[in-house]
Amino acid sequence: MDKNPGLRVRSRHLFLIGISLLLIVFSSAWAQDEEVIVIGHAEIAESYDPAHAFNPTTGMVHRVTYETLVTFPSADASSIVPLLAESWSISEDGLVYTFSLNQDAAFANGDAVEAEDVVFSFDRLRNVQAQPSFLTDPIVSVEAVDQSTVAVTLDSARPSFLAELTNSAFSISNAEVVRANGGTDSADAAEADAAMDYLNQTSAGSGPYILDGWAPQEQTILVRNADYWGDQPFFDRIVIVNIPEAATQRVALVSGEIDLATDLTPDQVVNLANSDEVDIYLGSSTWTHFLLMNRDPEVGGPMADPLVARAVRYALDYQGYLDLWAGSVTPGTNMWIGLAGAHGQEQSLERDLDRARELLAEAGYPDGFEVTLEYPDLTFAGVNLSTNAQKIQADLAEIGLTVNLLPGEVQVALEGYRNGTQGFAYWFWGPDKLDPIDFLEFLPGGKVAGERARWTENMVSSEILDLIAAARTETDPTARTEIFNQLQDYAQEDSAFAPFNVPAIQTAFRTDVEGYVWHPQWGVDLSLLSRSR
Amino acid sequence: MPFYKYILRRFLFAIPLVLGITVIAFLIANAVPADPINANLPQNALGNERLVNAFREKWGLDEPLHIQYLVYLGNLVRGDMGESIKTRNPVASDLRQFLPATIELASFSIVVGLVMGIGFGVISAVWRRSFHDYAVRVFALIGVSFPVFLLALIGLSLFHAQLGWFSGPGRLGFLTPKPPHITGLYTIDSLLTGRWSTFRDALSHLILPSLVLGSYVAGIITRITRSSLLDVLGTDYVRTARSKGQIEPLVVMRHALSNALIPVVTMLGVLYGNLLAGAVLIEAIFAWPGIGRYAFRASTSQDFPAIMGVSMLIAFIYVVANFVVDFLYFFLDPRIRYT
Amino acid sequence: MADASRFWGRLRKNPEVLLGLVVVLAWIVVVIFAPLLAPYDPLQQNVSDRLQPPNDVYLLGTDELGRDILSRVLYGARITIPAGLVVIVVNTVIGWLIGAIAGFAGGAWDEAMMRTTELFMAFPTIILAMAITAALGPDIRNAVIALVIVRWTDYARLTRGLIIQAKTTEYVEAARSLGAGNIYLLFRTLLPNSVAPVLVYGSLDIGNAILLFAGLSFLGLGPEPSSPEWGRMISVGVSFFDQWWMWLSPGLAVASFVMAFNFIGDGLRDMLDPRSAT
Repeated sequence: MDKNPGLRVRSRHLFLIGISLLLIVFSSAWAQDEEVIVIGHAEIAESYDPAHAFNPTTGMVHRVTYETLVTFPSADASSIVPLLAESWSISEDGLVYTFSLNQDAAFANGDAVEAEDVVFSFDRLRNVQAQPSFLTDPIVSVEAVDQSTVAVTLDSARPSFLAELTNSAFSISNAEVVRANGGTDSADAAEADAAMDYLNQTSAGSGPYILDGWAPQEQTILVRNADYWGDQPFFDRIVIVNIPEAATQRVALVSGEIDLATDLTPDQVVNLANSDEVDIYLGSSTWTHFLLMNRDPEVGGPMADPLVARAVRYALDYQGYLDLWAGSVTPGTNMWIGLAGAHGQEQSLERDLDRARELLAEAGYPDGFEVTLEYPDLTFAGVNLSTNAQKIQADLAEIGLTVNLLPGEVQVALEGYRNGTQGFAYWFWGPDKLDPIDFLEFLPGGKVAGERARWTENMVSSEILDLIAAARTETDPTARTEIFNQLQDYAQEDSAFAPFNVPAIQTAFRTDVEGYVWHPQWGVDLSLLSRSR
Repeated sequence: MPFYKYILRRFLFAIPLVLGITVIAFLIANAVPADPINANLPQNALGNERLVNAFREKWGLDEPLHIQYLVYLGNLVRGDMGESIKTRNPVASDLRQFLPATIELASFSIVVGLVMGIGFGVISAVWRRSFHDYAVRVFALIGVSFPVFLLALIGLSLFHAQLGWFSGPGRLGFLTPKPPHITGLYTIDSLLTGRWSTFRDALSHLILPSLVLGSYVAGIITRITRSSLLDVLGTDYVRTARSKGQIEPLVVMRHALSNALIPVVTMLGVLYGNLLAGAVLIEAIFAWPGIGRYAFRASTSQDFPAIMGVSMLIAFIYVVANFVVDFLYFFLDPRIRYT
Repeated sequence: MADASRFWGRLRKNPEVLLGLVVVLAWIVVVIFAPLLAPYDPLQQNVSDRLQPPNDVYLLGTDELGRDILSRVLYGARITIPAGLVVIVVNTVIGWLIGAIAGFAGGAWDEAMMRTTELFMAFPTIILAMAITAALGPDIRNAVIALVIVRWTDYARLTRGLIIQAKTTEYVEAARSLGAGNIYLLFRTLLPNSVAPVLVYGSLDIGNAILLFAGLSFLGLGPEPSSPEWGRMISVGVSFFDQWWMWLSPGLAVASFVMAFNFIGDGLRDMLDPRSAT
């Protein structure tokens, strides 16, 4: 191109026209001999090792690369259905769960899924002491009764246990393969296990797809498991491209570069609604957006005062967030609104600025104070956290709080959040367990309350502690609902959190993509997707 | 001055410059953060005495400052620029990974900038005070006055999102396979291996960011070309050529331009350095996986070792680029040979 | 008076200088009277009016939280322009002092200063500034500090050149021969002589300082997200490039300001250029 001396001196227009002509010629589609689907997605993944990973992206990927003992139906969490375990029984006292593995089940490399693999996967999950390891806390032991029978013993009766087992952290990996690549389930696995790098690039599971490479923050590639023991999925290859910006996802979807966009904003969806090329799925998400107010005075400062936390809950303009995020819902508490017995929008708090100001004055801050709000700087599932943070800032300004915003890169911010060093923070939460028990994470004794908000058991009355204990073990549905109702009422009064919005999810896909089903646990099941001719 | 002597002298000038760059980088790394350990280790390592001590040991933090510098220099010579807090990789290997993308973008942009800049400069000088001249000067002003990130957004929203003329963010389409790694420049690698569709895709992704980045360079080069060409056109030498009856454009091209381009060439080294730095903003917007985006991510995640690595790398490139420019200069400017 | 009228005459021949001055003056008026000019509070959110394109109520449209863009751009001038000014003033003072000392003392001092400035020039300004703000933590003050650290060298070099030039003038030689001391010379003759050119250079450099400041802020290393700072406002464009009104107005605000200074600089150069007489 540079060889042509005319181009050098003539106007830019010639150059532009030339280039655009070239592009028109070039833009013809390339031949495809395999079925490929490209997913545009804002990646949040720390690892693809199921014992380490515990993020929105990994949930979606693990759904198709690994399998759990039991699972939910494809569209909801209404019942527990078999997967690797074809049947199970629960002992009289509710402590021992015995699973019979499906004899047909096989890993991608052809090895049969055996009891030994289950023991290895559960023990490794516990012993690597990573983010999801806490899920194994109720488990006392996992034993292989015979080649296809596993017995799991719990420390106490736990009605939610099967629902918890559907979590992708309980994925069953091929013990032999993981061991051969540095993995171990021994007690010192936290130091000794070295399989994460291997599992970040490929999967050792029994699902319909195999992980075929991950370039963090760039793309994840899945290839079809040709020997899958269940029904074969449609696509030969799934490319999950990291596109953090919703605006870019939209352009890529409309131009056909991607087939499915997971993180559009409500505003974009309104504009896309008339398009012939794009279909839209709208539904309520599982993500509860909330504020955290650290109860440790050294970390939280004035925010550690329960009165201040209450004032914050009354100061938030809940209606405003509903206007901001079309299709969203105001949650009553940190218990996800989709769970049985959760306080929904009818029981949610309403803004009451006078009450908020009174509470602040009662706490000794009639003139307010200055505080820093930390949050991860990202757009997640179409919700720009920075937009909400600015609204929070404006809401709290009305009761005299001067909020300084401190957005952080997501990994950095996560570190502070998990270490409990954030005094006042904005985060979102999707249930680890699709069971009311998930809410206990937000009460003293729970992970989020204890580790992240430093709200511990010695800070609450014994009645509340008794209620929390009962919530864990109560099996009678009516009594259980009653307990959770009381706990939610308590949380609205005294919690260290201020939940304010559960946004809608809006997924858009090319009209030729079929089989899209959204699930509260894993998001979209990629193996159900197909393309019409 | 003979060629080898000239080059040797230039080379000897470069050595203290390179050493000096390491001193500045070292001083900034030590003086700016309140606590170098805090700035260089991930938060979860701070509580770990073993890791903290290993870090102290490695960088000689208990030694006096001048020894610390020598330790730092020693590590640097071995290619050790510390470890990135965010990626947990050695900074040097991260830079190796991300540099080719930036080199490709910057080289493309400088070509675009040169072609547009010299072309416009010539037009503007030859038809001085004409409509063309004013149009070109306005363009040059926009090039140097508009923030590159604004041009990038206008380009993206207009030519990519609205008109769909050019590819948007990224180096390749989502489905295009990467060419095998030879130079790391996708256009060149795909050409070398005969992958035409990859080449086209890489090229179409390069156009928009390099037009944006190039227009900044073009703005500067237009101005230099214009003013130096006006200088040359005013000299006796050109007047003589004119009086001999040679037609105007030929005079310009043959006699004037070669002389007028000397200042452009001398600026190239500086411009290339500026381009690499300007690439930070462009790469952040165009999701271009180069050292600019690496630096951007590093700065937002307080990844101090990574960002100092990028600074130093670009400073080195700047020195090398200027060395190359000196080299070119020797051939372009006859005066050097006689001094 | 004769000088002034001649200057005016030349100014009329160079309308771009005039235009540049008018634009700069207009922005200064905005900086001072922003609260009177802005139709709304720049931080006032009206969620129900969000993302409106320019219309009769919101002349330049609204942003993602329903804040008035016009008011934000006007108030933004009060952040970006003073920040650029502070950078320039501190740059000028520091650069001028260092350059003056080097030029006056000469010898090893001079050599050391010159080499140091060369080194600083090798570093990419914006990345070095990013490194410094990353280490200090992002906010307006630290962004200004970072820019001061990376941008003083031009001023030092300029001042040094002027001082060395002034040292050789007859006036200084005469003063020296009359027994004037070093300190006296430095303060009474050399420094004042170098002030005017450095000030001129500095005032023309404001545009560049503002571009850099807006760049840092665009990257999230300046003021916090809700601030109506121009670079910050433009950065939402990455998420909302369809809603062009949100980022185009602050973008053009920066561009107009920088362009005005370039107009003035170009015009002045042209006016001083002997060729322009022909």
